[in-house]
Amino acid sequence: MAKVTREMVEKSGVNVDQLVELLVKNAAAELTTYYYYTILRVNLIGLEGEGLKEIAETARIEDRNHFEALFPRIYELGGKLPGNMKDFHDISACPPASLPKDPTDIKAMLTVLVNAERCAVRGYTHICNLTAGKDHRTYDLALSILNEEIEHESWFSEFLGEGPSGHFLRRGETSPFVSKFLK
Amino acid sequence: MEKRRFRKKELEQYNGKDGASAFISYKGKIYDVSSSFLWQNGNHQALHDAGVDLTHCLGQAPHNEELLERFPVVGTLHRRVN
Repeated sequence: MAKVTREMVEKSGVNVDQLVELLVKNAAAELTTYYYYTILRVNLIGLEGEGLKEIAETARIEDRNHFEALFPRIYELGGKLPGNMKDFHDISACPPASLPKDPTDIKAMLTVLVNAERCAVRGYTHICNLTAGKDHRTYDLALSILNEEIEHESWFSEFLGEGPSGHFLRRGETSPFVSKFLK
Repeated sequence: MEKRRFRKKELEQYNGKDGASAFISYKGKIYDVSSSFLWQNGNHQALHDAGVDLTHCLGQAPHNEELLERFPVVGTLHRRVN
């Protein structure tokens, strides 16, 4: 634990135990989403599915990156990850992004994907709101993740016919916002 | 069917803990959120507990009341009039 780090955050008026619990729940959401997106991605097949596979893979890898970026902050603030993977899954801040009954139903697949991203956007917006102007490092981290989750949402939303995302696919590298926390 | 009227003390029993249902109150209506993954053990996102009136919390939440409409309304909150 980084004692002074925690002390500074406490002094700013943030309930650190509550914040750590939120970070753990969101770390769980990222790792479980990485797992569930693996299943979704391998089932994105056929003429329609292939068109989504690339962005589903990018979102999958970036969600794993979010987990990698989050857990150090949890320990810095005096928290820890649960010792049991099943417990970790069950405390996720977002529901499981389970494979739809009919994986060839592209709209159902996209709905699972966009709902997962929307849950994440809500979660990181909330963490940003709680930490803005108080816990600068957590805010920076949550904002970086939020930037990527918003892009994921917009990609899947575009495919659902909700309007243009305004973005293009990543070209080569992943996590343009979060990568600074992974070095 | 007439909805049940809950007093604040009664609502507190539906806190989602030890097998109890998880009910929350919003703008006078009581919602049963027991089926929600995000209300397991009567707690929501580490910040909110079931069994209470959350009317004044939604303003700070990163979602609006539409999300509540997915859950069944099981009653209304009895307001004491002095």
